[in-house]
Amino acid sequence: MQRKEICADNRFTGRVRSKERFRMILFLGSVPFLLLLSLLLGPSGIGLPDLHSTSGQAILSLRAGRVFTGLITGAALAASGALFQAILRNPLAEPYVLGVSGGAGLGATIAILGGSGMILSSGVPVVAFVSAIITLLAVYLIASRGSGGQPSVYSLILSGVIVSAICSSVIMFLVSSASTEGLHNVIWWMLGSLQASDTSQQLFSGSLVAVALLGAWVISPRLNALTLGREMAHYQGLNADLLIVASLLLATLLAATAVSLAGMIGFVGLIVPHVMRALFGPDHRRLIPLVSIGGGTFLVLCDALARTLLAPLEIPVGVITALAGGPFFLMILQNRMKEAWIG
Amino acid sequence: MKRTALQFTGVSSGYRHRKVLDNVSFSVEEGEFVSLTGPNGCGKSTLLKTAAALLKPLSGKIELFGRDIRGISPSSRASLLGVVPQKIDSPMAYTVYETVMNGRIGYAGLRGRFSPADHDIVERSMIYTDVLKFRERSFTELSGGEQQRVALAMVLAQEPEMIMLDESISHLDINHRQEVLQILLGLNREKGITIVLVSHDLNLSASISDRFLLMETGKIARAGTPQEVLEPALLSRVYGCDLSVRRDPVSGCLEVTGSLDTLRRRRKLGAAVHVVAGGGSGIELYRRLQIEGFEVTTGVLNRLDSDAEASRALDIRTVLEQPFSPVGGDAFRQAVDMVESCDFLVVSQVPFGTGNLINLRLAEVALEKGKQVFLPSGIADRDYTEGKAANSLSLDLFRKGARLWESVHDLTGMLHQKTDQ
Repeated sequence: MQRKEICADNRFTGRVRSKERFRMILFLGSVPFLLLLSLLLGPSGIGLPDLHSTSGQAILSLRAGRVFTGLITGAALAASGALFQAILRNPLAEPYVLGVSGGAGLGATIAILGGSGMILSSGVPVVAFVSAIITLLAVYLIASRGSGGQPSVYSLILSGVIVSAICSSVIMFLVSSASTEGLHNVIWWMLGSLQASDTSQQLFSGSLVAVALLGAWVISPRLNALTLGREMAHYQGLNADLLIVASLLLATLLAATAVSLAGMIGFVGLIVPHVMRALFGPDHRRLIPLVSIGGGTFLVLCDALARTLLAPLEIPVGVITALAGGPFFLMILQNRMKEAWIG
Repeated sequence: MKRTALQFTGVSSGYRHRKVLDNVSFSVEEGEFVSLTGPNGCGKSTLLKTAAALLKPLSGKIELFGRDIRGISPSSRASLLGVVPQKIDSPMAYTVYETVMNGRIGYAGLRGRFSPADHDIVERSMIYTDVLKFRERSFTELSGGEQQRVALAMVLAQEPEMIMLDESISHLDINHRQEVLQILLGLNREKGITIVLVSHDLNLSASISDRFLLMETGKIARAGTPQEVLEPALLSRVYGCDLSVRRDPVSGCLEVTGSLDTLRRRRKLGAAVHVVAGGGSGIELYRRLQIEGFEVTTGVLNRLDSDAEASRALDIRTVLEQPFSPVGGDAFRQAVDMVESCDFLVVSQVPFGTGNLINLRLAEVALEKGKQVFLPSGIADRDYTEGKAANSLSLDLFRKGARLWESVHDLTGMLHQKTDQ
């Protein structure tokens, strides 16, 4: 019996041909090295800091904190993007598509500008998180009213875009009437940074992301059927509506956590799922864990570059993700566009 | 003992603002091969979606193998009923094997692990539909016929007791259609799977089905054997055109044909019909009368009226009056000339008011000249003249020999009959 199980597994992984398996081993094997490499990079110099001195220990713990934040943020963004692309069946879907960024941005802007003295710096992420969730609920309600019951993909995307636009115009108004200092703070928050916030927030966000990723992994086999559309998923014996709502909630939870932790970092959530799909196929059972690892590692690496390249000046990590990651991913996608998405 | 596979009892169903199915009752017995047919937009797809619990019925009861569908869990529903859609749209590059594997997802546990038995079933379904050779190819690269066979394999992998196909084969070429039909017939005869095929091809359905369900705007017009349903009069009414049915001398199957050849013959007759219309009520009449080979004239119409626009577009001789003005004497005299040279006069379902009541006098003129006049039903409902003058005039016209028409199909039938005399 045991033997038969193994046989079956081979049949399933029939798709993972030797080439793909080699690629996967290469990818997973390089992850620890890349993470280690990021620990060695920083504005204070390349290499391990002197661990016997207090400053050296502080530097290392600072870098470790950034690696941790980068890992959970990148994983959350990439997994959220993969989920949105599956539910909405749209290659342009990304974590911010349903207005999460607009809502979080508006909340953060109000918190930063309105209460620079009142609210502690740790209050901003909480406000951003809460307003992101509220925005999604609003978008979902508007979309479901519009299409009478279960919202259609297009009504979701459209209401998301509209709500985002409203949020950003309010942000622009607030920013235009803000003091120079407030303006500076808001812009820097929006550019995104993995600068370690306090440990309790890291741990809280980390556990939220872990729970949401576990949830995404549990529903991942059903996402395959869902990409054939809500009707087909229903015909195949799934509770399609429940599945869609659960995936939307998980994807938003991931995106909102990422935004509240590190501001608005673009590109990771859109491109990492595409590249992973191009390299390892679209089966979500593999895709969800792979994009989480890939997104996390990618963001950690970008952050290491961001703080090292022009040290002591720090480049916003969102600039690096697209500027350095863009050409690299274009090279991969150029040859394997068909494996990534067929429209 | 045979069970009833699908039973609708007084089911109404539809969308938010539109009821599509209206109090529908029928049943499909286990092991039957049933064809569901009817004109476009009559509610076939809605019926199918309602049967698959994708649409909640507004009222009535649906039973699948004796169980109320409201009480069936999604996975046991998938084990009873599989649906092959018109087309499967797979945006991501799944392989054929991965696509067919979706058929087992309803039975997989929480983590979606597939057992060796699941893989065996998937392979068997792929062999049955002859798609195993594509297993590693991308689903989207396949041709339409191949994709449709993969879709069928996916539904077979559910191991359902009944399969419904939503016009899944109508866009396949004859070769692939035969192939899919052969698979379906095999499933039906060998495995006893109940099949409901939504199809526009009456002849094809007649040759393979045990029974027909003929739908007509949200209702079942008739359910029965091909012989009982394929009646020229019934089909002509449901589809709104002339159809004839004969038995193929070679195969013995019933064959439904349109009457294009008779149309061609009639085109030469070119009897002249004058149409009294207005407000868009004449467009369908113009179109159908022209197609059926009549020479059409119309008037009096106001310029800018949608019927006037239509008559100009269709190149119909028309008497026109100024926009938004009552019909005047000049125009009326021209229209009388036109009526004198026509064979028939038809009044459309136009509302009458004081401005155009005089147009109904044209019918009186026609009757006096010995022409046949056809009046629509329900003139009284559309009569906005003082003291219902149009209605009393129409009653007078009926007394003088005008005939009543209810549907355009009726009307053209009567016109052809008169022309042939």
